[in-house]
Parts: sequence; structure tokens; C-alpha cells
Amino acid sequence: MRNEMMTVAKNQEIAANTYELTLSGALVNDISKAGTFLHIEVPGGDLVLRRPISIASVDPVAGTCTLVYKEMGEGTKRLARCRPGDLLAVLGPLGNTGFPVESPQAEDHVLLIGGGVGVPPLYYAAYELAKRKVTFTVILGFQTKAAVFYEEQFRYLPGSEVQIMTDDGSYGGQGTVIDALKTRTDRPAWLFSCGPRGMLRALEIVSAQPGTKGYVSLEERMGCGVGACLACVCETADRSSYRKICQDGPVFAFKEVLL
Amino acid sequence: MIDPRLQVKLPGLTMKNPVMPASGCFAFGREYAQFYDLSELGAVAIKGTTSGLRSGNATPRVAETPSGMLNAIGLQNPGAEAVRDAELPFLANYDVPVLANVSGSTPEEYEEVIRTLTDVENVGAFELNISCPNVKEGGIQFGTDPEAAAELTAAVKRITSKPVYVKLSPNVTDVTAIALAVESAGADGLSLINTLLGMRMDWQTGKPVLANEKGGLSGPAVKPVALRMIYDVRQVTRLPIIGMGGIQTAEDVIEFMIAGADAIAVGTANFSNPFACPSIIQELSKWLERLDIEHIGDIRQQGETV
Repeated sequence: MRNEMMTVAKNQEIAANTYELTLSGALVNDISKAGTFLHIEVPGGDLVLRRPISIASVDPVAGTCTLVYKEMGEGTKRLARCRPGDLLAVLGPLGNTGFPVESPQAEDHVLLIGGGVGVPPLYYAAYELAKRKVTFTVILGFQTKAAVFYEEQFRYLPGSEVQIMTDDGSYGGQGTVIDALKTRTDRPAWLFSCGPRGMLRALEIVSAQPGTKGYVSLEERMGCGVGACLACVCETADRSSYRKICQDGPVFAFKEVLL
Repeated sequence: MIDPRLQVKLPGLTMKNPVMPASGCFAFGREYAQFYDLSELGAVAIKGTTSGLRSGNATPRVAETPSGMLNAIGLQNPGAEAVRDAELPFLANYDVPVLANVSGSTPEEYEEVIRTLTDVENVGAFELNISCPNVKEGGIQFGTDPEAAAELTAAVKRITSKPVYVKLSPNVTDVTAIALAVESAGADGLSLINTLLGMRMDWQTGKPVLANEKGGLSGPAVKPVALRMIYDVRQVTRLPIIGMGGIQTAEDVIEFMIAGADAIAVGTANFSNPFACPSIIQELSKWLERLDIEHIGDIRQQGETV
């Protein structure tokens, strides 16, 4: 983990209000887990909280990493205005857990389910699975056609089967990722997921199936990002204590946390 | 490198410099020890400690505001015994005194925490948190009433020989009345300000952003309020003051000292920059040269002008 001024190599809109940001710097060498994130200081100096953004991919040869974020408020609006060559103060990589991409055996089938800006860490996980010759199914949900991103990138990975769902049916299947799941009869050995809480809660039922090991990457409003401020906590499944999403996570087994 | 011009001696706290991380913004130091040697700090104010474990409030616990943030963590902490057995020994690895922040729902709870921690060697002094705005019974009921604040101060002074600082709430009409009340009850020092009670609403849901609805405002937004309150308190007392409220830079530290602070605490700035404390310390040395000042204490307003 380090705090570094990283250089913006690329920052482009890839879907409606959704940007792909490529950063270069020495910090890239420290990134090793799919699910970890970077904590980025917003230019301007008046916004006191950094923005935690998941890592979507790493290119160790080019010395770059890529993040995808949605323009939602003042902070991400300013990030969206960054141009190549601009410097950003970046703390990371943060998070101590990633999706267990090294665990599935070659014969296992992995199901990856993502919604909206929950998709990027799943791309990192899918890339690692493909590298290990594990086959996987990706189901991605978006609000509408204009919001869809990374479909081609997922399809390009060997061993992938990709299904897109949109809430309004303007692209792919109509409905949610949960609707898509209901039409499937196979039982995945592994489930990796990231997205809105409602989607994750619905997925708990799938992950509770015998023989399925389910993992979820959580997000929450964060303060320090390193485990000191106790802002981004989630309750453990038995309600006995809390886990810090930034430090103990952000990836947890479904059975570990209360969604 | 120790700069002797920065050394500050406060009751119970012999500090290499006047800079400490503020309680609640630094947990018990472990996370920031990954970034720098905690021995560089003047002191460490630990997370507010209660007698038993507290799990805190529901999330969201933080929200951003113009030049600041709201928090409603709710005093999440492992309880006094765990702090004594697992956290303070970690800080004992560093050459830095600890200011142990103590919270409670009842006077008895404050006393219990202090009894548990008072013999721990690296605890140099206590900081009575009578100003946490984020729990129903977390001290602020003591912090807004001069009489209750004085009674609590006197009660804990009876059970510890270590100096006691009282952390004052800005959510009062007259902060000097509380300051004078705790001074007469035997307080050895004051720290101010805690956070200002605030709120944010979510226009999409029509509800407050924080699960706790209200939270404590911190960051540069509160700096002028903190300076004014320290200035006012400095007019009425010679007690040592640990000043805090939106400090981000060495220039801010100098402002706080001009207002009357003897030492300062850095809170929210740790979140935007994990190196905030050591970089402020470095910059302070440069400022002393620039201002041609022999010792940091020379900046401080002498107080009790009345």
C-alpha cells in the first residue's frame, strides 16, 4: 500500500455517465487481488473524503491499472473532468481480501453476477479465471442499453459465457440478473458478485445452495479507507460484531456478513 | 529527527512536538503505523473507550459536506479491558505518550474505564469525552451542563492520579461556563472542540443521509468556530488547551496557537492524507525559521487577559 501521485493516462466515457480511468504509477506493481480498490483524492482540495473505486484491470507491462466509475456527485464529476497527464493523489491498493480466483478447479463452473458499477471488480476476477483456464458464466445487469459497458471485454475472455440484462429490456434480456438466474438450472460451484444491496440480498438464496461457495464484494460510504475511522462497517451474519469493509474486506463470503 | 523548538510539555504528556492525531480519527494507531513511525508524533489520542464493547451505529455513518464531513460512528470500540490488553501494548512499542479518551453513559462507566486504564504505563493522561454527539447516552449530557460536567470531572479526579483533560462540546451557548466549571472541579487541561451537531438530507429518498440522522461536523468547515471557542476559553483560563477543529496544515496549527492552544490534534485531515500529522510536523519546523521564532510555545497567546 502506498500514497502516490499517479498520472492519468486515459479517462473516457464508455457508457452513460460511466467513465474508464487508466492510471500509471509504481502503485500498480502492488496490485494483486481482484476486488481491491484505490482511494482517490478529488482535485480541488475542498472535498475532504477520498473516493474508493474498484480496480477493473491491471496491465503490469504498461504499468497501468484501470478503474471504472459512475459520475454521481461532485467528486466523481471532477474526476470525470481529468485529462491525460493530470496527477491524482491515490492511496492503495486497499482492501485485504479479493475474490478467491485461485480456488476454483478447472472443472468447476463459476458464476459471476454484477450490477451497474459493481461490474468492474468482476472483470478483474473474470480475467484471472480465464488465465487459469476456468470456465465461467457472467450475468450483468444495467438500467438501460446506454448504461451497458464491458460486454465485449467479458466476451473476449476465453471460457466465458456472457448474458446481459436491462431493467427496461432495451438491450439483452428484460429484467434483473435475478430474473436471468431463475431461468438457469445449473448449480455453480462458485458465485462471485458485486452490485446493489438488493441484488446481493436476492443472491444470498443462490449462494445458500449446497455445493455453492458464494462471495460478495461490498461497498459503503468510506472515510479513511484503511480501517481507522470505522465508517464502512457491516454486521456479521450472526449479528455478533462488525467487519470493516475497507480493511477486512471488501470481499466476504456470503455466510460471513449480514447484507 | 527531534526539533527541540517544537517540544511541548503538558500535564502528563511530554511531547516531541505539539501534534497528535485526534480521538476517533486514528483508532489505536495500528493502521497509520503502516505509513510512518508513530514515535514521530507528539502524542496519540486513542479512540473513545467505554467500559464494555460497543458496536456503534448503523450505516451510512459518514457523509461529505462543503469542506467537511459528518460522522455518526457511535463510539464503536472493543471496551476498556481489550484496549488495555490488546491496543495499548501495541502503542507501547512506540516512544509516544497516549491520551486515553474515555466515554460513558453514566459517571460510573467513566470511572470504570479510568480504573481499568489508569495503571497502564504509556497512558500519560485521560481525555474525558463529554461531547460525543452521536450516541443517546455518550457523554454529551455531561458536556452541555456546567454542573454535570464539574461533578463528573471531580468524580474521575478522585480515582486517578493521572492528569485529566476535558473535551468540550461546541454545541453549547457559552463554552467558557463549562470550561470554568471543569477547571474548578480539578481538570488539568481542556481539549476543544468536538464536532458540531449537523445533518444532511438525501433529495432522492427524502430522508437524512446518515442512518443515525444527525452526526458530528468536522473538517476545515469548523475551523473558524474552533478558533473562536479556543480564543474565548483562553480569555478565562490558564489551563493547557489541546486545540482541534479542521486543522490540515502547519499554518492552521500556528493559527490555533495564536488563539491560545498549547498543543493541537489533527482529525479529519488524516482521512484525506494519511501522512497529515508527520507532514504538519515537518512544516512547523520550517515555519519557525520563517517566522524567526525560537520555540513554538512563543506563538501561544498568553491568556487570562481579564
